[in-house]
Amino acid sequence: MKLVAIVGTNADFSYNRKLLEYMKWHFRRAAEIEVLEVKQLPPFNEDLPYSEQTEVWRFNNKINNADGVIIATPEYDHSIPAALKSGLEWLSYKHKTMKEKPVMIVGVSYGTQGTSRAQQQLRQMLLSPDLNSNVLPGNEVLIGNAAKTFDKNGFVTDIKVVHNLEDSFAAFNRFVKSNMRYLEEGDDNMTEPHISSEAKVQFRTGSLKVKEIQQIFNTLPFEIDFIDDTDHFAYYSDKPNREHVRHPSEIGESVEECHPPKALPAVKAIMDSFKLGTKDHVERCLPLNGHKVWINYYAVRDENGRYLGTMEFTGNVGHLVNLVKDGKFDGFPDATSGASKHDDDSEATGPVASESADATTGASEHDEENEDKTE
Amino acid sequence: MKIEAIVGSNKRLSYNRKLLQFMKNHFTGDEIHINEIKDFPMFNENYPDGEKDHDPELVTELAERIEAADAVIIGCPEYNHSVPSALKSVIEWLSYRIHPLHGKPIMIVGASIHPQGSSRSQTHLREILDSPGVFAEVFPGNEFFLGTAKTAFDEDGELINQGTVGFLEQCFEGFKKFATEIDDFNGVK
Ligand SMILES: Cc1cc2nc3c(=O)[nH]c(=O)nc-3n(C[C@H](O)[C@H](O)[C@H](O)COP(=O)(O)O)c2cc1C
Ligand SMILES: Cc1cc2nc3c(=O)[nH]c(=O)nc-3n(C[C@H](O)[C@H](O)[C@H](O)COP(=O)(O)O)c2cc1C
Repeated sequence: MKLVAIVGTNADFSYNRKLLEYMKWHFRRAAEIEVLEVKQLPPFNEDLPYSEQTEVWRFNNKINNADGVIIATPEYDHSIPAALKSGLEWLSYKHKTMKEKPVMIVGVSYGTQGTSRAQQQLRQMLLSPDLNSNVLPGNEVLIGNAAKTFDKNGFVTDIKVVHNLEDSFAAFNRFVKSNMRYLEEGDDNMTEPHISSEAKVQFRTGSLKVKEIQQIFNTLPFEIDFIDDTDHFAYYSDKPNREHVRHPSEIGESVEECHPPKALPAVKAIMDSFKLGTKDHVERCLPLNGHKVWINYYAVRDENGRYLGTMEFTGNVGHLVNLVKDGKFDGFPDATSGASKHDDDSEATGPVASESADATTGASEHDEENEDKTE
Repeated sequence: MKIEAIVGSNKRLSYNRKLLQFMKNHFTGDEIHINEIKDFPMFNENYPDGEKDHDPELVTELAERIEAADAVIIGCPEYNHSVPSALKSVIEWLSYRIHPLHGKPIMIVGASIHPQGSSRSQTHLREILDSPGVFAEVFPGNEFFLGTAKTAFDEDGELINQGTVGFLEQCFEGFKKFATEIDDFNGVK
């Protein structure tokens, strides 16, 4: 189970942050909890250009890919802090990130009420139509007297508080799992092939069983992502140790949803050129996860040239680079240098071959810092 | 009466601003000054970067104007059935080191593009203004919310529906009476 936990304050020192760090540790066997900060987000403002809000996009993405959300809210003036409210406004704006997300609310306050009034308001906000979350009913975690709650190692000192947290978390665990089951049942048709994995597919050049096709894609030393001709993320190969970690829940996302806003214009430009037929291939070299990663975008077409989608072909070429460095290819005949040039960038030819520029240059303009989903 | 009005929206085009501007122009017998919150920094205990004992200038200036005023009006939008963060942030500043709203008579009005017209955010705002750190005197009853705000104003910024104008006048008169009583009680003037 993958959860994200939102620290509901921008303060440098926060008991609510401490509480989430404690929960991350205490419930580590049941869930992988990633703690997120709202202070990284700009204050919500409708006049800010949404397409430039990379942090908001990242925040949305993390929550999208989580099975559930824990929110730790302080209480400011009997409500939640503006910094947390601002984060929720971003989450409800343009996308419906919180829609049907299981949410657990916890809170620590300095006084004795333990954020009870802030939690009441937060529940009402989460149930509003633009957020529309599945808030865990009952199970209140209201921790007062913050200054006495934690010892110097961050452990909760009061056994009653520990039990309250454990009971509530167990309820949340069941709540999230029933939500996941519900989603999985809805997804069944998507994850299971429609036909038997023994069924054979006949190609002009031979035939393969469905399960062979699946495993061939998964065994390729390069990972594959495929965006279909309606610009939706349709498939990725389940290669072990992918450079771009994907999740089945992302299948069906539009190109807008699965790229950071800043990278989107470049991605769309590539796809537009593929659709028009002005390019068939774009490549990029990127440092990713400490690897030398080579990314290739190919236009996939039917035999009549009609665009079927874009294939992203990504792999760590560190080993190849080392082979070249070690001289493993030295002394090989450099097969007809003129011809090889043509082979390598066949896409540089066109109706007016002399004018068409190197089709690969566009790629380097791509904003690498925003490479999707990887950080 | 000297009144400080606060636009609870940080948007360039705000119906709550329009509503307060209408009130300013309509109630000419009183002096209504409109305050914008768009440039206020987000409330942070450690503003700016760990410094402990100083508020942003915009906050202290607003606080001074509020102290000098007889009453306050807040134009409150509704975001997610509650108060927008931009407005909540200003209230946090005004309840942290300084407390200029303490004992101050406040009238809440609100506009929304939906029919319910900020009714739920006004309820939250009342709870917030009632909390001990703020301790304002919120005008009870008389909830003025303007629903379907997109079609509520004409080109000159006048409220089209005369029934709405009449109700607003009635609320405002009641508020001034309330504010005078509160200020008398608190020994103001
Ligand atoms: C502007 C402001 C308003 C506050 N209002 C309340 C309140 O209404 N009720 C409460 O119990 N504590 C209130 N507090 C105190 C908080 O409970 C305390 O600062 C707590 O440590 C905040 O949680 P944190 O440690 O996670 O930041 C307020 C603090 C600030 C800065
Ligand atoms: C993030 C967000 C959440 C909103 N939630 C609500 C809501 O819960 N109820 C409502 O009536 N309007 C809601 N609205 C619409 C506002 O009523 C509308 O934006 C209105 O114009 C805001 O007031 P203003 O014009 O003074 O800025 C929401 C708008 C945004 C941007």
